[in-house]
Amino acid sequence: MDWNSTLAEQAEPSMSRRSSLPLSSTIPASPNTVWVDATPLLQAACTDLLDGELIHGENFNLFAAMSALEIMDPKMDSGMICKYYSVDEAIEDGVGPVPISFDRTTDVQCTLDIMDHLLACEATWHKGHSLAQTVFSCIYLLRPERTVPSPILHSYCKIIRATCKAIVSVVSDARTHEEEDLFTMAYGLPLDGDGDEKSLSLLNAVEENLCRQLRACKAQSSRRKQDMEPLQSDIDMEEGYCKALLCRLRFRKHFFHVLACMRRPQGKGLELARKHIASSISELECIRKSADFLISTASGGCSIGIEDRTTASGRQPIGFDASLNSRVSAPAPPRSIKMLSWNKAIEYFEKLLRDLDFICSYSLDPSLEVLLRFVTQFQSSRPDLVARSHLQLLLVQEGRLYGRDPMFAVITRAAGLPETTKNHDIQRYESVMQLGQLVINMLKIVCTNTAWQRRKLGKSLQDWRVIYVQLELAFTNKFGEVLAASKDENGVARVVKQILIWLEEQAYWIAFRFLMLGFELELYSPSEFFMVYWYLYAVLVKLAEKTDSRMEITEITAAKRKGKKRKDSSKDVGRETRIPPAVRFLQCQIHLVEGLTLLHAALRNEMAALHSLTPFNSEQEIFLQHFELLQKACIPEQITYHSFKESTSYARFSNIATPNCFQQAQKMAKELRSSFSNDHDRLAELRRLEQVAEHNSVAMNVICQLGAVEPNSLKVSFEFVHHPCYATAVVRRA
Amino acid sequence: MEGERAEEAEKSKEEKAIFDASEIEYVSYAGEHHLPLIMSLVDQELSEPYSIFTYRYFVYLWPQLCFLAFHRGRCVGTVVCKMGEHRNTTFRGYIAMLVVINPYRGKGIATELVTRSIRVMMESGCEEVTLEAEVTNKGALALYGRLGFIRAKRLFRYYLNGVDAFRLKLRFPQLDMHPAYIAVQNE
Repeated sequence: MDWNSTLAEQAEPSMSRRSSLPLSSTIPASPNTVWVDATPLLQAACTDLLDGELIHGENFNLFAAMSALEIMDPKMDSGMICKYYSVDEAIEDGVGPVPISFDRTTDVQCTLDIMDHLLACEATWHKGHSLAQTVFSCIYLLRPERTVPSPILHSYCKIIRATCKAIVSVVSDARTHEEEDLFTMAYGLPLDGDGDEKSLSLLNAVEENLCRQLRACKAQSSRRKQDMEPLQSDIDMEEGYCKALLCRLRFRKHFFHVLACMRRPQGKGLELARKHIASSISELECIRKSADFLISTASGGCSIGIEDRTTASGRQPIGFDASLNSRVSAPAPPRSIKMLSWNKAIEYFEKLLRDLDFICSYSLDPSLEVLLRFVTQFQSSRPDLVARSHLQLLLVQEGRLYGRDPMFAVITRAAGLPETTKNHDIQRYESVMQLGQLVINMLKIVCTNTAWQRRKLGKSLQDWRVIYVQLELAFTNKFGEVLAASKDENGVARVVKQILIWLEEQAYWIAFRFLMLGFELELYSPSEFFMVYWYLYAVLVKLAEKTDSRMEITEITAAKRKGKKRKDSSKDVGRETRIPPAVRFLQCQIHLVEGLTLLHAALRNEMAALHSLTPFNSEQEIFLQHFELLQKACIPEQITYHSFKESTSYARFSNIATPNCFQQAQKMAKELRSSFSNDHDRLAELRRLEQVAEHNSVAMNVICQLGAVEPNSLKVSFEFVHHPCYATAVVRRA
Repeated sequence: MEGERAEEAEKSKEEKAIFDASEIEYVSYAGEHHLPLIMSLVDQELSEPYSIFTYRYFVYLWPQLCFLAFHRGRCVGTVVCKMGEHRNTTFRGYIAMLVVINPYRGKGIATELVTRSIRVMMESGCEEVTLEAEVTNKGALALYGRLGFIRAKRLFRYYLNGVDAFRLKLRFPQLDMHPAYIAVQNE
């Protein structure tokens, strides 16, 4: 290895910039510093150093070491792999000819291939690769002016650039973190074209022309045929080619409209967006169907397997070189790119459009509870970055919910306070304003990828706790007197009290989501399910309790307001016995996790199963690590490892089956169906809960009966067959 | 940092080596002559590319945390680590690379290597040990699970190849502290 090959190329751009500045003249020596010529020292060091050695300074940390790239090492040096040193060189070498071919049929075929490959590139980009190495690996996109003589290709390239720009904008505006830095990096790429209007008008003109050509070739009378110059020279294929091009162009048009409509303020374009989504999906279907025709045109058959081909025809597209932009990509080792196939790209766009449609179908309900349920439902289909960014931008605009409702109004509504409270003076109180910010942050967080989301939700719990304590303090110190003096029922004290109840409920909801996401992200090993279900139980009990208090207060408030007019208080009487369905929904899950905890506990206590000894630490450290963020935020209060040990140490096969928690959960889930007959999502969740409960109820009976006789004959495992978070026990004979 | 592939149940054309556990010799990093052995093992087995600076950064600063496993003079496995203050609050050990070549996997060599490093970390006053592993690397996840690591976080598309990682964490017991005190201290 020679000296040149081991030179470190620092990632920080400031380093290279600094070297070109005349340092001594710009930074004068101060009383504590002095300028010394370091050349002799460096020279001495150079003669002393062997190849590959470095001088280690205090500030040379892991990041610096990892940022160092070895030049000329193909594993690290992105520039090593490129075939051409510049786009111009590639063009000179004939990589992206214009026109693609002087044979018009070939020209059309190649244009279709380029369109298809670009779709695959775009989907690959959306899935997490750089724009430069995917979409902009297309020479025709990199030199916009070159395609002017080929209107179809030109219009397609234009709309692709405009679409990319729109997508970069939505993702960078949403700042969904962690994944967007690579996604939005568009440095040095010609994204700024002539503007959206021109892109669309050209596309429309080309579309119209193709329509006429299609009509002409379909027309019976030869007179009309002569009016119109055909698209290409093979008359038998004319219709097929026209149709294949048309659906591809139309898809781009509608998709571009979808993106534009969804960005309209306050969700005003959602209805129109849905129409374009429907059109986009139907054009995608036409594109898919065009494959049969296009494969038949590929002379000599196709050698690439269907899983790898990036074009409908199966041909390799002309005009692409993924290494062209390696010099403008990030100063990091080259990332390997596995391009999505054409089939997968279409599937990706269909999923994206369905996710976007789900967003557009949302009613912009002012209730935070409804909204959070909606977002959770949305996230359960694992939407990708683009759809999540759109949702986030819809939810929070200019610090308001949907750009419409001020945060304080959202909070008072969530807390069950009357409409009039939304103008209450308390909104100017600092903690209340911070609470508003916290809600905004929460809304943004729940739109991010679930890995990031869980971390951020966990960390935010402490902020919720701080605001709670601050509000509570202010309420007792400052406003306590106000309450005593005025006895004003609509006064500050009552508003704060109700907000506090809701705030606690919200924090427990976050904790619940935090714990549940751990299952989806596979963060718990089977030996840890036990403690997670136990903690989940503790959180759910509190969540149900807070939800119930908040709903009760809301109901009383509403009744009182009505009562003022009608003096009818008979409805209040039944409250104690009637638990709201939302609370019973939680209670059903409480029974379920209680059953799971007891089952695990009994298995551990009786069989030493699911119990592992580790050499360096104990179960206590594992408990503390998993629930550290919850413990720090006092969620719930007075929950410790010792309370966990204590409450689970008595479980035995002889005492866990009566009362059977799973049976209770199952019964409750059945009963609740009628309460949610109009709520499709919760009905589906109830069905899942019921299945888990039913299966576990049977499993528990088997375990308890057999376990009492011959405990070592059992082999019990837990699988997520009916629900992503609530496990089903599977019993086998050992 | 890297998804360890130790003990991964990968199909390999290379045949499993037949040997007795006692034939494996474990040595602590002893100088520049070990560096090429470490580099070639890591380069050959792990997906992430590292510059020579990364290797030197680790083995020069924490030679006591680096171990090599030899079988009849052939280097068959290695572990490279560091330790230090994390965000000025926690003294933390970090396992950067763990490799055992395929024919020698499944015999506890990786466990022995990493256990030696962790023991030194513990004796040096570390409160916890962390590392990253690919979510698909079942072998490594099982290995660290047996040692008491938990999956603390999932890191979205952490590796250059686009795969998610788990951040694994092992906390040592703080014997002089009552759990309630730990809770208070964490506030």
